[in-house]
Amino acid sequence: MATKRKADASVDEVIDPSDMLSFICLGGGSEVGRSCHIIQYKGKTVMLDAGVHPAYEGISSLPFYDDFDLSTVDILLVSHFHLDHAGSLPYVLTKTNFRGRVFMTHPTKAIYKWLMSDSVRVSNTTSEQTTQLFSETDHLTSFSQISAIDYYQTLHHSSIAITPYPAGHVLGAAMFLIEIAGLKILFTGDYSREDDRHLVSASLPKHIKPDILITESTYGTASHMPRMEKEARFISLVTSILDRGGRVLMPVFALGRAQELLLILEEYWEAHEKYRQYPIYYASSLARRCMAVYQTYIHAMNDNIKSLFRSKMAAIGEAAGKDGQAVGGTNPFEMRWVRSLKSLDRFDDVGGCVMLAAPGMMQNGVSRELLERWCPDSKNGVILTGYSVEGTLAKSILNEPTEIQAFKKEHTSRRSGREEADRVMIPRRCSIDELSFAAHVDYGQNSSFIEEVGAKVIILVHGETNAMNRLKSALLSKYHDRKDKPRIYNPKNCEELFIPFKGEKIANVVGK
Amino acid sequence: MSSSIFFKFKSQKEPTRLPFDGTAISVFDAKRDIIAIHKLGDGTDFDLAIYDEETNEEYVDDTVMIPRGTAITARRLPPVKPGRGTAQRYVTGKMPTAALTASRIEKKT
Ligand SMILES: [Zn+2]
Ligand SMILES: [Zn+2]
Repeated sequence: MATKRKADASVDEVIDPSDMLSFICLGGGSEVGRSCHIIQYKGKTVMLDAGVHPAYEGISSLPFYDDFDLSTVDILLVSHFHLDHAGSLPYVLTKTNFRGRVFMTHPTKAIYKWLMSDSVRVSNTTSEQTTQLFSETDHLTSFSQISAIDYYQTLHHSSIAITPYPAGHVLGAAMFLIEIAGLKILFTGDYSREDDRHLVSASLPKHIKPDILITESTYGTASHMPRMEKEARFISLVTSILDRGGRVLMPVFALGRAQELLLILEEYWEAHEKYRQYPIYYASSLARRCMAVYQTYIHAMNDNIKSLFRSKMAAIGEAAGKDGQAVGGTNPFEMRWVRSLKSLDRFDDVGGCVMLAAPGMMQNGVSRELLERWCPDSKNGVILTGYSVEGTLAKSILNEPTEIQAFKKEHTSRRSGREEADRVMIPRRCSIDELSFAAHVDYGQNSSFIEEVGAKVIILVHGETNAMNRLKSALLSKYHDRKDKPRIYNPKNCEELFIPFKGEKIANVVGK
Repeated sequence: MSSSIFFKFKSQKEPTRLPFDGTAISVFDAKRDIIAIHKLGDGTDFDLAIYDEETNEEYVDDTVMIPRGTAITARRLPPVKPGRGTAQRYVTGKMPTAALTASRIEKKT
């Protein structure tokens, strides 16, 4: 019988092949986008996330699904509703042989439903039929196969135990604790440990000691600005553009971090009458549909938003006591100074304003249209508040190019190789600033969480190659002098890791 | 005369038809058409492998002719060298004039 020898062990150990855990990134390995990881242990298979890559379309945007037999997956866990984590789920459920169970939290499921319908509609209007991964019917028929769970609730399926914990980041985002035959694996998904205006920051109960930690590494070894300083800088960026007579464009993903930015702006507008002449627009019909979800899950958010909710309730109570008139809704996300915009046709573009528009990467759609309209004027300004993914316009514009390429609905055939000649270029004179409100951990937050968790095996995912390499080196030098240093991996897509773990965690030591 | 082969990505349930003129299509043209039909882009960020569905044997030689009616599967793989996927050959290049090796030709036809 074939046995493998563990190279770094001081005692001789016989590793049974069934004690091997295998890990493979079908997407999100040394990249940000199309998150999808597979864990196999003791004959059980768990899949983490089913995303799409925002820099690509159609099949190209998928994780490398051809490299794994999806029919063998027992459980698929979706960490949160962002498209780079959930965007190919309808495809997996309807176009492949996948037949496992799917779990996500209640708020994630509620928002995912609207989000995918919206993304099908957007791709309907911007690309041709053949790049469509699935139809709205596919989405709606497969939706019922998804089971929703609560934070801290442990669920058993096929001898696998799973428990979601809050991950910060966006409403409903979860870290998943997975337990197979006594082995504990924690997957962070995208996570944040910073207090913000509406979310609970990520945490794990102290008594839980995972053996393996799979963590995001989006920001590598970078450090975030302290929150107060960042907000002050954000407000000063916005107001200086308005003060010079310009328009502010903030390309955002329609849901999640946009709500946080709106809460900050609303608070400032409430306190500073001077800026109320400038409308804040939020161009997203999707967000409007999802407001009910935000309202429903206020109990899943932090104390700040709960007290905002209570004070709105109290205001209504008072007003009702006086003259029986209500003074508006109780939803803290329904704002006084923010106008929602159904489409650009209804937008009166007459002067200074603050515009939050999707998509965040400006690949197409409203944010792209406004960028092209506004970027030739040096008074205007673009503020990028998310993580800009490699290969997208949001990323390339950070280099402040003198011109940008106009988006065309009819893409010329890329096969012709003549696309260069068809390019229409637009001069770029507007300011470009980047200020991250992406709600991912920075180096300090990530390394202290890694320390707290104390796993012996750390797998880095969801990071560009360079950021990830820097994080790995920083962690290696941090643990350099420790006796029991963790093993740290940063696999590329489709590169399979084999990690030995003793079965049922009972030592199988020979020759001693 | 229009013929077709049946094609699907390995992860997919349902095959699609890949039409062409004549009685057989070269591996090169089949890969080029798959990339075009599915708009896989310029081919710089992935490698593409195709296999005979029954035998699971890879078509390594671009000049081999696949008879009509054949069912093939495709695998999209990360490029061995980032940004330099071998699939770009099928987007920008021409079909090689010579087969890979003489023995390969005998084996495949
Ligand atoms: Zn995310
Ligand atoms: Zn992400």
